Amino acid sequence: MNKLSVKQATELALEVGRIILQSGGTTNRVEKMMLKVCKGLGYPNTESFVTPTGIFISVNDAEGSISTSIKRIENRRIDLGKITRVSRLVSCLEEKQNCPEGKAVMDVNSFRKELNAIDREEAWPGWLRNLCGGATSGFFCLLFGGAWMEFAIAVLIGIIVSYGMKLLSRLAFNNFLLNAIAAALIVCIAKSMDYYIPYIRLDNIIIGGIMLLVPGLSITNAIRDTMSGDLVSGTARGVEALFITVGIVAGSGTMLKLFSLWGY
Amino acid sequence: MRPFDTLTLMQFCWAFLAILGFSIRVNLKGIKIFYTALSGGLCWAFYLIVLYYSNSVLFSVFISIILVCIYAELVAPKLRTPVSVFVTCAIIPLVPGRGLFESMQYYIAGNNVQASKSILETLLIAGTISIAIAVVSSVTNIWLKMLNRF
Repeated sequence: MNKLSVKQATELALEVGRIILQSGGTTNRVEKMMLKVCKGLGYPNTESFVTPTGIFISVNDAEGSISTSIKRIENRRIDLGKITRVSRLVSCLEEKQNCPEGKAVMDVNSFRKELNAIDREEAWPGWLRNLCGGATSGFFCLLFGGAWMEFAIAVLIGIIVSYGMKLLSRLAFNNFLLNAIAAALIVCIAKSMDYYIPYIRLDNIIIGGIMLLVPGLSITNAIRDTMSGDLVSGTARGVEALFITVGIVAGSGTMLKLFSLWGY
Repeated sequence: MRPFDTLTLMQFCWAFLAILGFSIRVNLKGIKIFYTALSGGLCWAFYLIVLYYSNSVLFSVFISIILVCIYAELVAPKLRTPVSVFVTCAIIPLVPGRGLFESMQYYIAGNNVQASKSILETLLIAGTISIAIAVVSSVTNIWLKMLNRF
């Protein structure tokens, strides 16, 4: 295996970090993974500093020349499958063994190829994921004491909101606005369904829809980051969770108030 | 016995299916989906059982999150998966979406006393979840360090 130059190793590590951070990994994991990649490529002296919105990495080689690179991270989305697959790939590189997901023994070229494949791959088709969003919302509605009619409406709302969020995220809205609009959409559909279908309890339906939006990932990451000592990103993610929550409340509250003003 | 009847089993199933949907939504694949869904279901079942015996919401949230995080720490290395993937999926049923919505409703209705009570409860539940996750993850860190040392 011919050794990569410092620049190429930095780029490769940065790519690994970008994928994990963009799909919602903890800061500690991103730093550890980039360190492992550089070690596997033959550069053990690596320092990195990761925040939720950017990666800083500098790789030293034996002669003392340093390669530093900065990457700004935008449009983050939850994709736990990608985190898992990249982590496995990196641990394969570290142990220089057969990868259960890939075919050949890891060298640099096949590593890069696998990484690109993971980055481009969609684990499930879009319609199935939207359907599962609907199922999640529906079963949460049942969990909180809904009846079957409410289940059906919650499933419908979940599917519509999943599609809507996909479309809205294409417009590059920020997190606050995205969640506010999605929550407003949930309340709007539920209220207009209430007009046509008698004897349904709106609370369960709306809560089932809101459970799709609650920032579970941000809370988990904030705590795990803080506990592993990354105070900057811990605080940042905590604030992110708070803002998502405020967005949900603002969106659904505004819509409820509008409907009550209109007379429903 | 109340906490081990069919109603609890049904609730377990709903939580299981909900997290099943959630884990497909976040692009997980393979046998992991089953285990994450199981963690979500177990989380809710533990919560109901402890709630029956202790009558305290915060205590039952604390205990159930701790148990589920231990489950995640045990299962995740076997599946070569990051622990945070499991924890993220497992806590979703207990995240206080209902408290959030109720406090907002009270607030809009102008009932400030009820609203602040509900907000406080929501914040306390969220804080309890955080503390439970923090306890398990730091204890695991110490445990792994001790294993490496000796």
